[in-house]
Amino acid sequence: MMDPHPAVAEVAPFRAKRVVAPPASNATPDAQYWSMQMAAVSAQRDRASFMRIYDHFAPRLQRYLRNLGVAESLADELVQEALLTLWRKAGLFDPARASLATWLYRVARNLYIDQVRREPHWLPIQEGLDRLDLAESDRRDSAPESLIDQDALKQAIDRLPAVQAKLVRMCYLESKSHSEIARELGMPLGSVKSSLRRAFAKLQGSMGGAR
Amino acid sequence: MKPHHHLDDATLLSYSAGALPTALAVVAATHLERCAACRARLLDADRIGGVLMQQQRIDAPADDARAAMLALLDAEPATAPAAAPADLMEEADPDRLPAALQPWFGHSLRALRWKRVAPGVQRIRASSIAGGELMLLRIAPGSKLPLHSHGGNELTVILDGAYDDMLGHFGPGDVADLDGQTQHQPVTSPGVPCICVAATDAPLKFSGWVARTLQPLFGF
Repeated sequence: MMDPHPAVAEVAPFRAKRVVAPPASNATPDAQYWSMQMAAVSAQRDRASFMRIYDHFAPRLQRYLRNLGVAESLADELVQEALLTLWRKAGLFDPARASLATWLYRVARNLYIDQVRREPHWLPIQEGLDRLDLAESDRRDSAPESLIDQDALKQAIDRLPAVQAKLVRMCYLESKSHSEIARELGMPLGSVKSSLRRAFAKLQGSMGGAR
Repeated sequence: MKPHHHLDDATLLSYSAGALPTALAVVAATHLERCAACRARLLDADRIGGVLMQQQRIDAPADDARAAMLALLDAEPATAPAAAPADLMEEADPDRLPAALQPWFGHSLRALRWKRVAPGVQRIRASSIAGGELMLLRIAPGSKLPLHSHGGNELTVILDGAYDDMLGHFGPGDVADLDGQTQHQPVTSPGVPCICVAATDAPLKFSGWVARTLQPLFGF
């Protein structure tokens, strides 16, 4: 598999040639770094690039799934499946649309709902929504990924007031519904929702995507 | 036609987190299918999830896990990675139910088998859905529903026809994203029946003796 498939080599010949070494250990790789690794995976089936992605994301996806209450062995399997999906569908990855972290988050979240919560209808519906967006990729209501400042979003998450930060984490990292959060914290349902609304507005503002 | 009433930010966040109860997620997906603006906001919500996932504290992957991953790649066929499919959009067919509803109610609006639950009100309940109620409602034109509020969350998307309540006019694709505080009394528009899909994660509460009489008919 050293020779790139001719049809695939056309996808991103320039990017694919610029495969870079891992960044110095003190630098956090950015979205552009990951999209170059993805270009090499897609165009050249480059295993070294794939394993750079694996080494960074596999343990994070594993921890994400473990936090959701997934048993260790199943979490390991789902991480492998998520990365295998990346290998198979690298050609569908569009760095202009979403960062690799966002893309892998979606893949892992979908696998969790499909295989842990056992909701067989979720996956085809999400894939349908993705196709609708691909079909309309010329018109964007969301800021293009290149304009998204990942660091600003990280800082905005760190700056959330304590209650909002707690609710956002319970939502994303424990997959708790509004009602479950309300019960657990003894908060009125309306307050849970309004706090989450305020948190989302702040975070969206940091992404330049607020409308 | 672009929807005018959208998903609440808190609902979108929950959808992105995979934390919305199934019945509500089905109705949210019905709206997302018709609303590019909400899909764009969903992408923003997914970006938050991506950052939170990346911020997880971790250990380095074990050597045996890396070796297992590479062995899986060896087993993969040496074909080009999948490219975007060509057949992106289905023809707009007024009889086709939204994709999110098809697993529960079939493909065709015309083929639905309605059950009368009150004068002017017909319903089909989704069976065996976890964590709430999912139903299609078909309400005769010009009907006034009893004043009611909701114990928990309620999501409604209009599929055909329209109704008005104190929150505004709701037509095809519009979503009413209500919480327990909201009391409303929808009045369907004249002309065609109002067909909508509704989900709750808790029983409805009707007010007044007329409504209490109707409640058993609705079977909420």
